[in-house]
Amino acid sequence: MLTLTSPVETPFHRLPAGAKLGALCLFTALLFHLNSPLPLAALLAALAALHLTQGGTFAAHALRLLRPLWPFALVIALWHLWQRDPAGGATILLRLLAAVMAANLVTMTTRLSDMLALTERLATPLRHIGLAPRAFALAIALTVRFLPVLSQRVAEITDAFRARSPRRPGHRILIPATLAALDDADRVAEALRARGGAG
Amino acid sequence: MAQGGTSTDGITLTGVSYAVTGREILSDISLSLTESRIGIIGRNGSGKTTLLRLMAGLIAPSRGSVTVAGRDPADRKAMLSRLGILFQNPDHMILFPTVEEELAFGLIQQGRSKADAQEAARACLLAEGRAHWATAPTATLSQGQRHYLCLLSVLLMQPETILLDEPFAGLDLPTQARLARRFAALPQRLVTISHDPAAVATADRLIWIEAGRIRADGPPATILPAFTAEMARIGEADADADLSR
Amino acid sequence: MERNLAHIALFAALIAVLGLVPAITLPFGVPITAQSLGIMLCGTVLGAKRGALAVLLFLLLVAIGLPLLSGGRGGLGVFAGPSVGFLIGFPVAAFVAGLIVERWQAPVAAAALLGSVLGGVIVLYAFGIPGMAIMLGKTIPEATALTAAYIPGDLIKCALAALVTRGIAQMRPGALLSRG
Repeated sequence: MLTLTSPVETPFHRLPAGAKLGALCLFTALLFHLNSPLPLAALLAALAALHLTQGGTFAAHALRLLRPLWPFALVIALWHLWQRDPAGGATILLRLLAAVMAANLVTMTTRLSDMLALTERLATPLRHIGLAPRAFALAIALTVRFLPVLSQRVAEITDAFRARSPRRPGHRILIPATLAALDDADRVAEALRARGGAG
Repeated sequence: MAQGGTSTDGITLTGVSYAVTGREILSDISLSLTESRIGIIGRNGSGKTTLLRLMAGLIAPSRGSVTVAGRDPADRKAMLSRLGILFQNPDHMILFPTVEEELAFGLIQQGRSKADAQEAARACLLAEGRAHWATAPTATLSQGQRHYLCLLSVLLMQPETILLDEPFAGLDLPTQARLARRFAALPQRLVTISHDPAAVATADRLIWIEAGRIRADGPPATILPAFTAEMARIGEADADADLSR
Repeated sequence: MERNLAHIALFAALIAVLGLVPAITLPFGVPITAQSLGIMLCGTVLGAKRGALAVLLFLLLVAIGLPLLSGGRGGLGVFAGPSVGFLIGFPVAAFVAGLIVERWQAPVAAAALLGSVLGGVIVLYAFGIPGMAIMLGKTIPEATALTAAYIPGDLIKCALAALVTRGIAQMRPGALLSRG
């Protein structure tokens, strides 16, 4: 399964997931209390330096994860230049970059299995409102299992369409894809019951 | 290794019918299955898969009763050690992202601890010479390998009887041969459902299902020639144009 | 129990898979993925409660690091980004869409259309716009202006969600759990 965890082993990988998540919450709260560009720039520089100490591959991976932010960065930059408020614009941009970068750092340095274990621990109190930890874990496993199955199915439907049409199927994929999910759900329910149910 | 036929042994169907929205798929089936190797044969749409699902307790009969080892198979929890099911398509059966989780699940369902189940799963893979499969994603296995994984996950639970739905469909010939050899060596009672005479040729007893009823019941030596002749006769005629609904 | 669990898990996977499909191409050539359409379908097909749970499960998988949001985004970072309000609004959107299909006994296409517009656009933007206003330090009208470009595409998705829901109702009446 493709995940966003970095294959470059860093010292952060060895920290417990819960501690990292706690630190992230505190760090993000701090970011939203700072309202001038200078301290935010210092924090962002520190964060960037932290990435660079782990080598170029790791830093480049982190940079790639920031790419979806560029349209927002562009809008903010233009807006605040037009409003003649560069300090305000810089505050917003630096805060946004630091917050997303810090959160990505936790994601990049925590294995999926550790994240899952943490989630299951955090979800245990939910059993009081009727969410069994076992059903919860089972649902996660089922989704991860059926992601490749369902995308394979969508690819097959696309092929079947293109075999008889010069165009891409576009929205015509939607009904067969939804039916595939519904049919698979019925079969999964049956396979679960065949092996003793989810209870 | 024929097993003794008492009423609490094997699978018993008494006057079983099954209908969906008024359309009868199986009508008045009575069977007592105690042999070690049982084959159920019939055409597509004859009702043989419905029969398997009834035996497995996945659906309940509209009339009549089904018992497995004297109990209602719908109680799947109690059935786990008595009845295993190998579905035709492994993609409908594999529930977990990795091989090890898939194997361990059935054992956890039987009440074993997670660590214990995981260890048993690894031991099983080691014994099969496939220790390196443990953490492999199930989606990356080939069709034959996925089929094999499903069989292993059923065998690991050590049920007394295993229901096989078209166990050889879609597999290449070497994989079929390997699976057939594996089936032949199993101590369990096997109930094999197929449209293919070759898949059930070595059974102790064959049941031929046609249009929801038992057409014939006996040893392969008497059933198969009649079945093959009938299939050839239907194939000559253009008999596949009717719509059932 | 098994049936609900399986539907929730499979529809969480469906949302992810629809994030990869360029289902609509706007006239000026911008492809829009069907991901938020998947959110609407969770509600209109599975019903309010199961639909919202499927979306929550999907978001959980995104949060723990699977790149399942359209464009291959994922991880905790997306919850610190400008779109966080939309992510928080996703399960509520599915719930509202499902509730309307469950409660309003109109023809299924009409109920699904109203549900998708109310849930997948009005409720979703009611979460998304303030989220963007906070994250980008803008006023509500400014944030609304920033998101307005996406509204036509989302309305097309509502129409498609209604058609798909009606299609399911015709082909598998028993599978439409929101009308079960």
